[in-house]
Amino acid sequence: MAVKERNARGLGSERLREALVGYGFIALPMSFFLLFFIFPIGYAAYISRYDWGIFRGPFVGFDNYRQLYHDTVFWQHAVRNTLVYTAVVVPLQMAIGLSLAVVVNQAIRFRTFFRSAFYFPSLASSAAIVSIATYILASDGLLNSFLGRLGYEHSYAWFARQDTALPAIIGLNAWTTAGTMMLFYLASLQAISTEVYEAAAIDGAGAWRTFWKITFPLLRPAHFFCLVVFGIGALKLFDQPFLVAGGASGNPAYATMYPILYIYNAAFGVFDFGLAAAAGVIYFVIVFGLTVVQRLTVGRQEAA
Amino acid sequence: MRKRLAVGALLSTVMLFAVVLVSGSQAMVGGSVPNSAKKLTASKVTTESLNGWVGAKVEDDLLKTVIAAFEKSHPNIKVDYSGFNNYQTTMLAKFSARKPPDVFYVAAEDFADWVRQGVLQPLDSYAKKTKFSTKPFYTGLANSFKYKGKTYGYPKDWSSLGMQVNPALLNGQKVPQTWAQLRSVAQKINIAGGKPICLGADWARLMAFVYQAGGTGQFKDAQSAPFRVAVNFYINLINDGLAATPDNLGAGWCGEAFGKEKVAIAFEGNWMLGYLKDTFPNLRYTLAPMPKGKTRGNLAFTVSYSMAKDSKNKAAAWTLLSYLTGKVGAKKWTSLGFALPARSDVKPVAGRGAFVKYPRFTHGWGNQVDFRHVWTEVANNELTAVLQGKETVNEMLSKIAAAAK
Repeated sequence: MAVKERNARGLGSERLREALVGYGFIALPMSFFLLFFIFPIGYAAYISRYDWGIFRGPFVGFDNYRQLYHDTVFWQHAVRNTLVYTAVVVPLQMAIGLSLAVVVNQAIRFRTFFRSAFYFPSLASSAAIVSIATYILASDGLLNSFLGRLGYEHSYAWFARQDTALPAIIGLNAWTTAGTMMLFYLASLQAISTEVYEAAAIDGAGAWRTFWKITFPLLRPAHFFCLVVFGIGALKLFDQPFLVAGGASGNPAYATMYPILYIYNAAFGVFDFGLAAAAGVIYFVIVFGLTVVQRLTVGRQEAA
Repeated sequence: MRKRLAVGALLSTVMLFAVVLVSGSQAMVGGSVPNSAKKLTASKVTTESLNGWVGAKVEDDLLKTVIAAFEKSHPNIKVDYSGFNNYQTTMLAKFSARKPPDVFYVAAEDFADWVRQGVLQPLDSYAKKTKFSTKPFYTGLANSFKYKGKTYGYPKDWSSLGMQVNPALLNGQKVPQTWAQLRSVAQKINIAGGKPICLGADWARLMAFVYQAGGTGQFKDAQSAPFRVAVNFYINLINDGLAATPDNLGAGWCGEAFGKEKVAIAFEGNWMLGYLKDTFPNLRYTLAPMPKGKTRGNLAFTVSYSMAKDSKNKAAAWTLLSYLTGKVGAKKWTSLGFALPARSDVKPVAGRGAFVKYPRFTHGWGNQVDFRHVWTEVANNELTAVLQGKETVNEMLSKIAAAAK
């Protein structure tokens, strides 16, 4: 009995020691996380209740939220553009990324070259990509002259038209990030056991049927991961519209106005940090809500 | 277990927000406006400047020459000059750290908002004490840096808009002087792959036409008749094929379209002259005043030298500021023609007559509360929407007026 108690005590102190070592390891990164992620969120919520310019002004309650509620630029253009952008670009990136992954997962010649080539755009900086795209999509640029040769006259700069600016940015981002998406899918594809494919082949399943009935469902964890990570990434869009419009103006006709640019304008354009913080809080709630919805829908299926 | 953890995390986040939002209401509001009553004894002045549009090395070198001349005539004052891009963001950091430069540029577009933030020092008492004459400043420019009767800066320099004309493309016609002539001349111009006129999709050009139509130039008055007349004239030039915006001419701005001879007429400022000289040295063109509508009207783009309210060297800062905006400093600074002198007692370099011909009809661009927000975020986006057929003129003017009010 006494031996049992001693053992139990020994086990308890061992567990405590392990726990302390564990907390010790995470203490530093956790303090950084609290200081640079959690604290700013709380502080933004605090600032949002003030008329806060360069310096703190008077307490205004929910006035900044009221102003934001009535601001059509934020809701009808910034938030709407981002939701449209995310709803289109993420599935597009996933489709391209998965297609590329399936191709380079085959035993084809120059496979390594294709893997590198498809991933290459992801390595280039967005500033460089936008600079090149601006020339290609100019009114007298490469794309328009190519379309002209095919008989489709298009005399406008693609980034300068309300109708085409957002699709052009979507296309640009889908192209640059599909390589990264390909990597995630490639890793998941290689984790699928060959036995499953062999069984399907014995049962007489063709390539198309095998892909939709076996490969695609077994990639569900990768789908969820890509949807969450790239979905949040899309909701944070800033650099490309900023570079396309030459600033945070949102031109042409609000087509490049997104919530992060709206927040940037409010904070650094007119020094209205109260409004910028309120927009940040509201947008945090929107992104957090969308992530929870994703978790409850796609994530639940993945867990099942 | 996982579900309970997820619910716990969700509740914690919501509670964190609730606590922070509620706690804000109980906090005491401290006096945040800096106390400017400080002893003025220091002799070293720090001046930091440079906006994105004045980044050319020759201009920077010229300013250093002006500063060197100042230091020579004021041996007790050392000027520590540096320029930078991302001007507003960098200045914001300096203001919020309460370590601003003593003297710095303020664009007229930002002026009213910066005054309201309490970061600029009123200068009237300094001018009075040192008998600094403000009469030579052009009234429209000086008023660009006044807020509620107080002066917070004196104009460094300025430029208005002019009409650049390529005579070779006019088909022997005379340079237009009125709106009617502009339209009729344009109708007889034919440029392969181009248009007769380049018009920017920017209220910083369109507003000159609003003044020419007899308008106030205030965005809050956007629904008044002169605004409607000017906008319709401007947009109809484009809709009728007599003009185009630069992006439809394969150019980044009208100066480039004009230099490439894609248009015969453009409306730009003094900044275009140096650009054309450097980029299109063989181009022959003339410079004329803006066309007359119901009346004459033009915009003045200007920048001030202002003093920081938190400056620790105010006496020396005033000495520098009054030198730079005074006759001697202004003459040196405008001697190469990069900008026009803001003072009537300093003559601009040759060839700038069209810009300064009608100073009485030239109005400062900016100096309205929340101006940059209304101009860039609302008005220009609305104008593009109208030009691309997505919105009517009335809808645009209504939204601009609402944003400005």
